[in-house]
Amino acid sequence: MIWRQALVIGLSVFAAVIVELTLLSRLGLPGATPDIVIVTVVAIALAMGPVQGATAGFAAGVLVDLAPPGDTLLGVNAIIYLAIGFVTGFVIDPRDRTVPVVIGIVGLSAAAATLATAALDTLLGSSRVSWEQMPGMVLTSALYAVVMAPLIVPAIAWVVRRATPEVSVISG
Amino acid sequence: MLSRRTRIVLAVLVVTSLTFVILDLRGGQGPLTGVRSVAANIIGGVERVAATVFSPITGAGSWWSTMRDQAAQIDTLTAENERLRGEAQTVANDLARVKALDGLLGVASVGQYRIVPAEVIAVGPAQDFSWTVTIDAGSSDGIEPDMTVMNGQGLVGRVLKTTSNTSTVVLLVDTSSAVGGRVAGTEEIGIVSGTGRQDSLSFQLLDPQADLRVGDALVTFGSKGGRPFAPGLPIGEVVEVGGTPGQLTRVATVRPYVDVSTLSIVAVVTRPPRVDPRDSLLPRAGVIDPSPSPVPLGAAASATPSDAATPQPSDEPSPSPSVPAIEKEQAATLQPSSPGDSSGSDG
Repeated sequence: MIWRQALVIGLSVFAAVIVELTLLSRLGLPGATPDIVIVTVVAIALAMGPVQGATAGFAAGVLVDLAPPGDTLLGVNAIIYLAIGFVTGFVIDPRDRTVPVVIGIVGLSAAAATLATAALDTLLGSSRVSWEQMPGMVLTSALYAVVMAPLIVPAIAWVVRRATPEVSVISG
Repeated sequence: MLSRRTRIVLAVLVVTSLTFVILDLRGGQGPLTGVRSVAANIIGGVERVAATVFSPITGAGSWWSTMRDQAAQIDTLTAENERLRGEAQTVANDLARVKALDGLLGVASVGQYRIVPAEVIAVGPAQDFSWTVTIDAGSSDGIEPDMTVMNGQGLVGRVLKTTSNTSTVVLLVDTSSAVGGRVAGTEEIGIVSGTGRQDSLSFQLLDPQADLRVGDALVTFGSKGGRPFAPGLPIGEVVEVGGTPGQLTRVATVRPYVDVSTLSIVAVVTRPPRVDPRDSLLPRAGVIDPSPSPVPLGAAASATPSDAATPQPSDEPSPSPSVPAIEKEQAATLQPSSPGDSSGSDG
C-alpha cells in the first residue's frame, strides 16, 4: 500500500510545516523556532523505517523551502532532513527504543539539523548565518524538540499503526 | 546491507535535492522560479487559513500573558469597554465633522502614505537566520515587489515577492536589507543595514565628519519613486557610535523602533507621500500614525513627486526652493532648537 504510506507521510509533513510557520514561529519563543518538522520526520523514520524516513525528510525539506516566507536555497533542508530521516530510521534498533533513547534521538536530530543547515548555507555562500548565536540556537532547538517528542512520536506511531500496519515499527 | 530498492530511493532523493540546490544557486529566472511561485501560492493559501485558525493563540499578543492572567485581563477590559462605550457616543459626531472638514480642505490624501493593511500570517524559522515574514495581502491587493512595509512604530521592511494572496516581506533587520537613512533634523545620510539581530542595525555614515550622537533618531531617506523605501519613516535610534569624527568610515549601532519579534498588523505603502514628511513621524514628535502632520495646501501643490524622491548628496546643502513652507512648519513644531539645520531637499 505505497499510496497509503505516501498519504500518511505527505499529510503529517505538510501539517508540521504549516504549524511551524504559522503557529510556532509566531509565538516569539526565545532562541530557535521549535522545529516540529524535524520531530515529525524522525517520528516517521522511527515508526516506518529508513526509506520512509528519508522520503519524509526530503518532502519536508522541499516544503519548508517552498513555503512562504522561505527565502533560503531550495534543496538544502531537503538534503539535511533526508539524511536525518534515513539515519534515525536505520541506526536505531527497534528493540533499543526506550523512551529516553527516542527523546534523545529527537533532540540530537534537531540540534544536528540546525547546525547542518547553518553550515551548508554558509558553505553555499549565504552571509546570513550568525555563528555567535549558533550555540543558543542549537541548544534551544534541541530543547524544544525534546519537549515536543513525547507528543509527536507516539501520535505518528499511532497513525502509522492504524493506516499502514504493514510498515509499522520495522521495515527495510 | 541496504536493499536495492532502498539504494535506488535514496539515490533519487539525494540527486533531486542536489539538483534543486544547483538550480537555485544559479539565481535569476531559472526553471525553479515558476515552481516556487506556484508552490508559494498554494502553501500561502493554506497558511492564511492556518493563521486564522491559530489566531486565538498567536493574535492575543503574548502567549504567556494570555495563559497567565486572563481573568485579570477580562476585568480590565470590561471596565475599559464600559468607558469606551461612553466615549464612542461622541465619536460618530466627531467623525462626521472631520469628514466635512476634510472635504472642505480637499487635502485628505496629500502628503500621506497610501497603504494596504495586512496581517503577518507566517514567520520564517529563527534558525534560518533569514528575517522574513509572510503577510496576508498579495498582488490582488495591489502589492508589488519592492514596496515599503511599515507599522505604527515605523519602518518594517520591504516586499520581496508576492503571490496573488500573500507576500513575503524582508524585515529591516535581515542581513540582506540595506536602507538609506537620514539623521533626523540634519542632512546627514548613510546606509542602515541589518545585522541579523532583532534589536540592532548598523548605520554607516556617508560623511565621516558628521556629528552623530547617541539618541539621534533615523528616518528613511527615501528611494527614487518611493521604492523600495518611502521617505520619512522612522527607522530607529542611535544607541552606540563607533569611531571618532574624521575616521574613514563611521558606523553606529541603531536600535529599530519596530519590534520585529512581535509583528502583527503591518501596512504596505502602495504610494509614497508626494512630499517627504521629513521628521514628522518620529515618536518624540508625538505623531506615530501613518498619516503625517498636516501639509499646507500651497506647499503640497508646488512640490512635485520628483522633488520628494530625488536623493541628493549630503555635502550639498542646497535648500530646495519648492518646499519651504513645509520646512518652516516642521522646523517650528519639531526642531525648535535648530530650524536652520532642517532646510534641504533630500528625499
